[in-house]
This record gives sequence, structure tokens and C-alpha cells, in this order.
Amino acid sequence: MPEPLTPARFRADLAEFLHQQPDEVDLEENPLYAGLDSLRITTLAARWREAGAEVSFLELAERTSFAQWWELLSERQSGATHADA
Amino acid sequence: MPTPDPHGERHPLLAAQEGIWTGQQLDLDSPAYNTAEYVLIHGPVDEAAFERALRHTVAEVEALNVRFTTDERGQPWQLSAPGLDWQPHLADLTTAPDPRQAALDWMARDLARPVDLERGPVFGHALLRTAPAEYLWYHRVHHIALDGFGLSLVAQRVAQVYTALVEGVPPGESGFGTLESVRREEHAYRESDRFAKDRAYWTRRFADRPAVAALAEGQALPARDFLRHVTDLDAADTEALRSVARELSVSWSDVVLAVTAAYLHRSTGAPEIVLSLPAMGRLGSVSLRVPSMVRNILPLRVAVDEQDSLRDLAARVAGELRAGLPHQRYRYERLRRDLKLVGGRRRLSGPGVNIMPFEYDLRFAGHRSTVHNVSAGPVDDLAVNVYDRAEGAGLRIAVDANPQLYAESDLAAHQRGLLDLLREAVADPARVLGGQRSGTVLDGGPLPGPARPVLSLIADHAARRGGATAVEHDGRSITYAELFGAARHLARRLAARGAGPGTLVAVALPRGIDAITAILGVLLSGAAYCPLDPGAPESRTAALLTDADPALVLTHGAHAARFQDRAVLLLDAAPDAGDRAAAPATTGPDDPAYVIYTSGSTGRPKGVRISHGALATFVAGAAYRYGLDREDRVLQFAPLHFDASVEEIFLTLCTGATLVVRTDDMTESVPGLLAACDRLRISVLDLPTAYWHELAFAVSTGAAALPAGVRTVIIGGEAALPERVGRWRESVGSSVRLFNTYGPTEATVVATVADLHDPGLAPGDVPIGVPLPGMRAAVLGGELYLVGDALALGYRGERPQDEARFAPLGQLPGSPRGYRTGDLVRLGDDGQLRFVGRADDEFKISGHRVQPAEVETVLLTHPRVREAAAVGQVLPDGTRRLAAYVVPADPAPTAAQVREHLRAMLPAAIVPSAVEFLERLPRTGSGKIDRNALGTVGEAAGESAGDSVSSSAPETGSSLERAITAIWEQILGAEHIAPHDDVFDLGAQSLQAIQVANRLGVELAREVRVAWLFQHPTAAGLARHLEAREKAPTTTPPGLPEAVLADAVLDKDIAPAAPVAGTRNAPRRVLLTGATGFVGSHLLAELLATTDAEIVCPVRAASPAEAAERVHRALTDQQLALPADQRRVTALPADLAKPRLGLGEARFTELAETCDAILHNAATVSIMRDYASLRGANTESTRELLRMAVPRSVPVHLVSTLSTAPPRGRAPEVPEAFLPPHPGLVYGYQQSKWASERLLEQAAERGLPVTLHRLGRVVGAPDTGYVNEKDFLWSVLQSGIPAGILPDLFDAEVWTPVDYVARAVVRLSLTAPAPGTVFNHAPVPPVRLADLYDWVQEYGYGVKRLPLSRWRAELPRSADVAATTGAFFDSWTDSAEGGDTDLGLGRVRADNVLRGLEGTGISCPLADRALVFRYLDHCVKTGTLPAPATRGA
Repeated sequence: MPEPLTPARFRADLAEFLHQQPDEVDLEENPLYAGLDSLRITTLAARWREAGAEVSFLELAERTSFAQWWELLSERQSGATHADA
Repeated sequence: MPTPDPHGERHPLLAAQEGIWTGQQLDLDSPAYNTAEYVLIHGPVDEAAFERALRHTVAEVEALNVRFTTDERGQPWQLSAPGLDWQPHLADLTTAPDPRQAALDWMARDLARPVDLERGPVFGHALLRTAPAEYLWYHRVHHIALDGFGLSLVAQRVAQVYTALVEGVPPGESGFGTLESVRREEHAYRESDRFAKDRAYWTRRFADRPAVAALAEGQALPARDFLRHVTDLDAADTEALRSVARELSVSWSDVVLAVTAAYLHRSTGAPEIVLSLPAMGRLGSVSLRVPSMVRNILPLRVAVDEQDSLRDLAARVAGELRAGLPHQRYRYERLRRDLKLVGGRRRLSGPGVNIMPFEYDLRFAGHRSTVHNVSAGPVDDLAVNVYDRAEGAGLRIAVDANPQLYAESDLAAHQRGLLDLLREAVADPARVLGGQRSGTVLDGGPLPGPARPVLSLIADHAARRGGATAVEHDGRSITYAELFGAARHLARRLAARGAGPGTLVAVALPRGIDAITAILGVLLSGAAYCPLDPGAPESRTAALLTDADPALVLTHGAHAARFQDRAVLLLDAAPDAGDRAAAPATTGPDDPAYVIYTSGSTGRPKGVRISHGALATFVAGAAYRYGLDREDRVLQFAPLHFDASVEEIFLTLCTGATLVVRTDDMTESVPGLLAACDRLRISVLDLPTAYWHELAFAVSTGAAALPAGVRTVIIGGEAALPERVGRWRESVGSSVRLFNTYGPTEATVVATVADLHDPGLAPGDVPIGVPLPGMRAAVLGGELYLVGDALALGYRGERPQDEARFAPLGQLPGSPRGYRTGDLVRLGDDGQLRFVGRADDEFKISGHRVQPAEVETVLLTHPRVREAAAVGQVLPDGTRRLAAYVVPADPAPTAAQVREHLRAMLPAAIVPSAVEFLERLPRTGSGKIDRNALGTVGEAAGESAGDSVSSSAPETGSSLERAITAIWEQILGAEHIAPHDDVFDLGAQSLQAIQVANRLGVELAREVRVAWLFQHPTAAGLARHLEAREKAPTTTPPGLPEAVLADAVLDKDIAPAAPVAGTRNAPRRVLLTGATGFVGSHLLAELLATTDAEIVCPVRAASPAEAAERVHRALTDQQLALPADQRRVTALPADLAKPRLGLGEARFTELAETCDAILHNAATVSIMRDYASLRGANTESTRELLRMAVPRSVPVHLVSTLSTAPPRGRAPEVPEAFLPPHPGLVYGYQQSKWASERLLEQAAERGLPVTLHRLGRVVGAPDTGYVNEKDFLWSVLQSGIPAGILPDLFDAEVWTPVDYVARAVVRLSLTAPAPGTVFNHAPVPPVRLADLYDWVQEYGYGVKRLPLSRWRAELPRSADVAATTGAFFDSWTDSAEGGDTDLGLGRVRADNVLRGLEGTGISCPLADRALVFRYLDHCVKTGTLPAPATRGA
């Protein structure tokens, strides 16, 4: 069972892909302007799905800030938790 | 943003679409923009449900229901075109021997079909059954409609809809957004600050317009197809790649990009690589849910040096991407415009790397599927496509290449090289990627034995075979013993004068025994010799002496005067007593043996120092390679100050053979030289290539004969001409060995040798071979480096810049010392090198890199070009041009012919703008072409040419140039564009180029292709191109006969009596001519069906009864319904060729008073008859009908033919407008129909309501499959099919079924269109002849395709070809001899037809395989064709 997605883990994942320190990640940043591309987003989506948050590339790609990503992820994550419960 | 038109039907293109549209305009018939993929469905498919799913989805996808048009300004627009007629191709291939392959073959054929953007559809679907429970769904879309992501959205939706249909549930909403939302978003971006920021980023990053390295030599326009090599990385390799990426904290795509850059660097030596990265362009965009074309391309700069590892490069790539990706919305096309990198051969970025990470896990009613790309669109150069689609499976890597730049074998090698490098890099990311590589180092192998010093070898011969003849000259000869003795004697004299190891002795002697003795004497003294030309200008000699600073000059008394201030030893003076004192010294391999001066690039000659070791190495390798033996008699041809003399002298003497020194008079003529060689029993000829060219020519023409004793010919000094090599091989054969040698003085005479006598060499192929034993050759970045013991010590004197050419080669193991030759070479598949040109000679014109040798090679393939040189010149006004200098054979070609020849074989940009004829090419002292002289000759070259040879390149294009610059000035809003201005440097954009092409085409009334504007970016260049095409030998048809022009004038009295007022009522009486014909009977049936009018049909007949009977029979023959009410058709006996149509005055007047509409369809169709015999029926009948119409302004609708239009070569487009006279009106039929149209045009101008309907090939109605046997094409098929051969007639032509034609013509005529409207009935894309013949073949007829002339020749006399058709072809092939035999038309505009039929439900079916099969069935049934041996499915 992979460890569940936490805000810290989310931040760390982004930092890794943005070549930043976790505390440097600006959650209001637009993923496009942060320099991500479709492959990197696909990879992140796959990673987060493994962590139990069922999100697709398309859902991430159409959102325009990392904060919106987290909103979606936490929604999906808790949904999964409820389903498990 | 331009506002959509009021109907909301017309939209501007998205920026990405505009890029594609522009690309398509360059070659309208190219299918390259077709993208396609297929989905392999593992399971049974309900075909009917699948077709429904396809139709459902297509209807949902806005981007597919479109066609495109251009407005009068040349601006493209997208039109909504819902309900276009399209059919999925459903086929069961399970009975084919290899169903998968059959499916792929079908796809390849479908993909090769160009899409007509004006008509659509822009897509196609097929469902191919390849096994009982396996289907391939193939989906093709023009790139203008969808990009790869868009395609995937459509595929997902089809799977969803199909599954719902099968499960019997509603498919739900597609969730697709609108194209309008994408357009709005794009518009908003263009107005945003972000746009300005993005633009600033890219223009700064590319401000220096970096050079773009590519693997192929040269560039080409996008090809119509591409080569593809596909490899799957297995799961383990893929996992290794992913894990290395993780380890390096990059994405796996960064690794692929880094390795691709490294591979390009290793192959080209370029310090920086610029890749092209397709980018989805949808992040944060509404287009994520809109199937559309928005993808962009990002240029990615990657600096690579030889020490870089994957770790370094991947980090660099990732950093560059992080910097660039935030700006990924800025359009690539726009950046090219910003940077003025449009047109010509300018490039912004090189090979592409396309990463496709989209997972496709489509289920079709529960059945699994896999997706396979078939085409990703056109390939400019090379593209690496990486697909990551299946979970857990590996990556698929498809490498695509432009076939104009890469051969299959090149592509395979590159793909292998790239994958090998990828594996190496992934296995060890710290490993240096710029390091060694295999395959680019050629090893000449070991020496046959130890390299013995030359003096020791010669001493041996003197000792063992002292009586053998060593040297002969002009009747004198000297034995080895004598020679060696004399040399030793001289050595002692020299030593007494201070010569010895470490000193240099200049030898200034003419060829002869003395000179050979002197050279050996100097070497024996321990000194090095430096040969000087005793006949050189004093200033040259003085310069060399200053640089060489010899201890002593050895010469004859006759030359002593010029060495007054030097220590001189006169060979012909009596020795001093003291001369005998000193003893000869010994020398080691590192001591210099000679210094030979070559011309330096700076003009200052440089002395190359060659050691004894190098000389010994060369002698051992070359003597072995040439197979010399002591029986040989070798001609000493070269002056001593050229190093070819070293080869002649030392190879001969070290072998123990005889050196025969030529006398000066021997070279006065080639026959003289060869006669002397025969007399002197020469067995080995060593000649400068330039001289050999003359010799080969003389031998090939029989002007001279090669003596029987000559068994070996060695040539070298410059590139051998393929044409001469060809002549030689043809006349001399392969029994005489012909060695083509290559080598700079710095590598001791010769470094590589090729056997040109090898019968296995392809014609025209002139390699320079492989290194001599003891030498190696490395090709780095296309440039040749030499390595081995025969390399020079260096240069005499301080020459740090030149010395730098000798440097350790880090790319080779052990970093051996190498010499950088400055010569560009290519390594062939056979492992032999080919000379490409001098790196220094490369000349840049308008950003294009031109290698003169490339041009010269092509010049020399012209049969009437004897010698040629191409040089870049800078004219006094600063313009740069490439000039060709040609020594013509007799009879001389014209400059236009030479240019035409070049144009056929070279990219347009490197075709020389000037071609000048010379009696001979200027040559340097060593016989090489003197490029410096040519480079500055300029205009003078033409004048200096003798009177006997015409100087050419007349400049008559100035008015044409002015026309071109004037249009550019309008379009660019610029003033004073000069003929030599590159319009793209002035900021021209692709769309503007298209506009200029269109306007220019109209203005000049001739075809001006868009591609030509890109290829010739200056007005001068374009004018030359247009002129050359004008002059190209095509059949120049005579002007229109006077009779035609006279008939085309409408009589003054034929004018409508009164203007037409108000709307017309439905006609009660319609006059229809030609009702008994193929089209006419359908028109009659349609008029009967859709109107209540009485139809009056004038018919050629003796009586009313016969006339009625003929009309009746025509309807029955065509299986058309007879009128229920007999009174609705009135058949009148008539003869349209006669005045008053042969009706008589009374009947004519009656009809004029009663008819409400006239539909003039009658014509005598004959491709052979002359105008005079057709004018009555075809032209005068129109005049009479117009006369009938004018009193009451009755509408006249004329049915005509598309063959009145000029051929493609004269007009890029057939407009829906009346046509001015043009030279394409060659045949009587065309002339008569054109004159008829012209009469109608004048009637229209005078206010008569008329319409004109031009038809293409009218074929039978699909439901009957009827074939009009009188039709030209069917008569060709009916004669060719039984004989098994079909002719190449044209690319494609318009086909319209007769029932459609009848409905459309009647509809468009009777719905009161604007008076004078012209309708070109070409509503569907033309039928390609290649497809038609494929279908004939698939029907079961074995046929092969032949050029027309061969078809006529091979067609059996007995073949039942219609006599007129045959005669027509005979006349046609005669007149078209060597010319353009394409009867095809330009693009046929049909906007009026398409618009007029919109919403009427009248649509034209596409002629497809099924329809052609029905026609063939008809032919078999009626016995006009035999049944095929096997009937296709």
C-alpha cells in the first residue's frame, strides 16, 4: 500500500519535477508557466493515482494552478477513503 | 480578428492550421499532411454498429466537417461543411494470404491520396477485418483538421459510442468544446502580455540564428512521402531508460532528447544541435476537450561537446526545457518570421523529436485494442517519434526521414546508431558520449613489411642489379650502379659545402637524369631537398628562398643568375678538389627528406616537411597498393616541385623499375604523348587528373590510342570527372588498372586510393577509395582527417595557424596525431570515401550553403559539358551569386539548357544564376582549376571567351523582374525592392508569398507555383526561373486560328430587346438541344421529373416521327423513364449546324416566341476533327440560339466542357469565369467550345440571363453502372485492358456521374442564378489515374502501366482501339515529344457549384473502387471487355 498523498508529499513531488526546493514551490503558479509538459504531467498523474488519488492527465492539464491540482487531488483522495471505509 | 461572415459559416484558420495550409499550398497534390493511425481491435466487431459509431462521432467533431476556401486576397478560410458525402471502407481481408499486410498495403495506398482542402472530406475511415475476431480500424485525417491529441480524442469517442451502441445504451454527450472557444482563446493570447513575453524570450534565445546541423547533406522541400523505421524498446530497456531518468532527476523524454543531440553531434561534429519538439500546446487550454489542430513546435538548443556524458546533457536539456516550456504557446511559424528564417533553405531547427505520452487504452464493447501510428505528417529532414501508449509495455520508436535526403540504408544506419547510443548512455550515464565511435574510421591496414628507408632500398638495387636501367631521358640512360655512384659522388661535394643532417638544399633543375641524381645526392648527404621550379618567376623563387632559407642551392649554370646572393653548387661545373673530403652521413626516420611548397590559403606558400620515415611509409604502402614490379617502366611526368614527382621517382627506384623522364615536347598533344609512351614501352602512367581528363576524352573519341603496354594508370591532384571516368571505362575497359588517388602534400603524396577499374562501381560513382596501408582516415563532421606514419613533420618556418591542422584526435583511441585536410568527404556503403568538396569553398548565398563541387558534379553529367567549375562571386554591387563556367563540347549547349539540366538535379537554391562558356578553364601551375581567378572574373569571363564560343546568360528579364518586385512592393507595403533583394530578408511571410504567387499568376497569365517563390526569394532569381521554364522545350501551340477568333464575336444585332424585370415564373416551355445524347437524355429526364414544362427537343431526323423515335430510344437505352404524358416532349427534326438550326424560319420564330428557357447541350464531340468541321454544330448553334433568345430575354444555359480551360502548366487554377483566349486551345473541339462560351459571355455582357456549365468526364449513373462507349477514356481502357497495358495519361481528372450532372445543371439553371454565372462541375476531388488503374487491376485484369508513347507502340495493331482515339494519340505523342504530356488541369474552382447546391440534397458521389467495378461489370456484360481471369472482391 503506497503512502497516501499529503500536502507535503504533493509539494515534494512538484519540487522534484520543477527542480526546486519544496518550500520554493508556488502553489498559485500555473503549471504551464512553471515549465511542465504533457509527459511530466502524465507521470505525476500516474504517481498520484498509485497513491490513491484517481486523477487523469486531462483533469490536471486543464487546471491553471497547482492549488487547483491539490483541490482535485484531495477531493479524489478522500472519495477513495470513503469508498474504502 | 477578422469577423466571421454573416452566415457564421466562415472562420479564420487557427495559427497552427495556417501553418499547415501554407505548407499544403507549396504542393497541392502532396498527401504528406495526411496523418493516420490504426487501432487493432482484439475481438469481433459489429460492423454496422461500428459504421454508426463512426458517423455519429464524425458528426460531433466540428473540425472534421469542414472545407477550406480562399478569398480574393488569398486569405484562407474554414467553411463549415456538415453532411459531406463520405463512406467508410469496409473490407474483409481474412482470405488474403497475409491479412495484416494486406491491410497495411491498403492503408499505404489510402495515405498516398492527396486531400482536396477545398472540397473535402479531410478524413477517411476504414474497418478492415484481418482475422475472424480481429479488426483494424484505420483513421486518416489531414493535419489541418486534427493534431495527434485531437486524433486521440476522436478515437476515444468512437470507442465510447460504439460500446454504447452495442450495449444498447445512449452514447451520451461527447463533452467536446467548440472550435469557436479555441479561436477566442487564441485571439486573447495574441492580445496578452504573455504573448509579448513569450516573443521576447524566443527572439532573444535565437537572436544569433544558430546554425542547424543535420545528418543529411543539403536540404529539400518537404517530400510527398516519408521513410519509416520502427523499433520497439523491450520492457527491460524501457525500464532501464525510466530508471536512469529517475536517477538523473529528469524525465525519460529528456534522456531521449539528450541522446539524440549527442548522436547528431557525433555524426556532424556540430558544437550545438537545434532540435524540433512538437508540443501539444493545450495545457490549461479549452482545446484539451476540442478535437482540433493546435500543436506547436519548440526549437530546442543543446550545446554538446566531446566531454559530455548523458548526465551532463540530460541536465542541460531539462534546464533548456524548463526555460522554454513556459513560452510554448508562441507559434513556431511566427518565430521564424520574427527571425527572418522563412523561405529559401533557412531553418530554425533541425531533426524532430516527438514524444507521444498519451495512453490509449481503448475498449470496443469490452474488447482490448492497441493503437499504431501510420503517419505523423510530413518529415522535413528526420524525426524521431516515441510512443508510450501501453501500460507495462516498452516504448515504440519510429524514425521517419525525408526520402529526398536519406536513402533507406541511411535511415536504418541512423536508427541503429541512435538506439545503440541510447543503450550505451543508459547503461552508463557518466560515460562520455562525444567519444569514439565506430564506422567513421577507415584503416588502410598494416604495411606489407617494415618501412625501409628509400636510400637503403635504392642502394640494394645498385648493389644487386647494378646493371639494370634506373633512369632514361631523351635517349640517355643510366644504370642503378651509375646513378647511385653519381649520387654518392655528389653527396660528398654537398657535404663539403656544409650540407648534412638538419640542412636544406634547394634543387633548381629541370626534369632529367641530373635532377634525379641531384635529389639522391642531397639525401645521401643527410640533408633534405627542396625542389624549386627553375622556370618560375623570379619573385616567386625569391619568396620561396626567403621562406626556405636553404643552406645551398643546387642548380645548373644556366639558372645560376637568380641565386646570386645564395650559396650555390653548380652541378655542371667541375668539382673542386676539396669536394671529396667529407663522407656521407646517415639519417634517421625523423629527419626530413624533403620540403615541398604548396600554395597557402593566405597566399603565402608553405613548405611541407616530410621525414624519411614518412617517405618510407608511403613508398612501402603505395608500391604494394599499385603492384609495381621491377619490369615496370614508369613515366616521370610531374615537375619536381610537385610531390607527384616524389611518387614517380621513389616508387620506381625503390622497386628497381625504370623511370622514363618525359621530354618537354611530349605533352604538346595527347596523341603525341601516347605515341611516345608506346615507343618508350611505358607500362605505368602517373598523370595529373586534369591532364588525364584530356587523355580520357581523346581515347574515348578515338583521337588517340592507349598503348598496349600500359597496364596501370595513376591519377590524382583533383576530383576526377564522372563523365570522363565513364568514357574511359567504356573505351578502355577494366583490364588497365586505373587508380584514383587522393592526398594532401601533408600526408606524403597519396593517402587514399580507389580502383576505378573495378567493374562493380556504379556508373557516375568516382570514389577516392580507402587509405593506403599504414594510414587511417577519420571522418568527423563530414571532414576528412588523416592519421599515420606518412604524415608530414609540419611546416618550414613559424606557421602556428597551419601547424594547428596537425593535432591529436581525441575521438580516436589513444588520441593519435591527425591532419585535418579541410576536405569534405562522404563514406559510402561500400566503405569507400567520396570527395564532396573543400570546406573552404563553401559559399553562402541568401543563407544557403553551397558546395561548388556538388554543382560541378551535376554540370559534368550534361553530355555536352566537357569541363566545368562553379564558383561563388561577390559582384561589385555586393550581391552574391553562384556562377558556373563551362567548357562546352561541340555543338555547345545553350545556357538555358545547362540551367535546365541543373534545375532537374539540384535544389533550386544552388542552381548557378550565371552560366558562362569558356574555351578553357583557368588553371593553377599544378593544373588545378584556379578558383581564385574565376572568383574574380565576374562579367569579364564572358568577354574573354573566344568569338567561336558564345557567351550567354542574356539578361532579358528586367520587365519580368519589375513585375515581380512591383507585386512584392504592394504586398509588403515596401518601396524600391531591388531585383536581388531577398524578400524573406525584407520580412515576407509565407502567406504573403502565396498571395504574390497568385497575383503574379494572374498578371502573367501563367502558372506561378508558391514553391518557386520559396526557392527563388529574389525577383531576379524568380524571373530567371520563370524564363527558363518558358523557354523549356515544350510544344508551343500556334495562336488561335483567325477563323476561331472571328467566330467568337457575337453579332451586334444579337442583344436583348429589353432588360429582364421581376422574377421569372417556372418555365412552361424549355428548349433542350442534344436530348438524344448521353448527358442530354438525362437532362431530358430530369426536366421531365422536376418541372411541369413541355420540353422541345430539336433532333437530327428526317421527320417528326423519326425525331420522336430517336428521343424515345435514347431514354430507353439509358434505362430512363419515358414521360407518362407523351405530350410533354416535342421532338422536332433539325440540324443545329444550319442557319436557324435547320428548323426553318417559321418554326424558329415560333420557338423564340414561346420558349421560356433554352438549355443548349448539343455538341459534336470529337478529339480529331478540325475546327472548320465542328464550328457549325458547336459554335454557330450557340449564336443561333442566342438569336432566338434575345427578343424576349429568354435565359440560355450552355453546357460546355472543362477542356476549354488552359492546362496546368499555363494556369494554376481553372476559375469559374469566362476564359480569355489562351494557347492551350489546340484542338478543334476545344476551340469550337471556347468560341461558343465566348459568344455566351458577350450575350451576358449585353444583359441576357445566361449560365455556363463546364463538365468534366461524365460517367455513368452509379445505380446502372452504364458506360458511355464513345468516351475517350473508356475507349482507352477497352483497347488497353485486353492487351494488358494502360497508358500514363494524366495525374487525375474530374469525374461526375451523369445523373448528378443532370440534376445539378437543371437545378442551377432553373433557380435563377446571377446572370453570367459560370459553373465548373467539379464538386468532388478528381479521380487519380493511379487509383483507377489499381482498381482495374484489383478487378482482376493483369495490366501494367506504360508511358503513352510506349503504350501506343506496344498496343497490338489488332487492338480494337477506336480509330479516332488512336489517331489522336499518334498526333499527340508526336507533338508532345520531349515536352510536357500532362493534359491535366490546374485546380478547378467549383465554389459556385458548391454554394449553389448547398442544402439542395444534390451531392456528387465520389468515384471509388465499387463504382469502377460496376462500370467494369457493365463492360463485361455488354461484351466490350472480356471477363477477367479472376474476379476481384
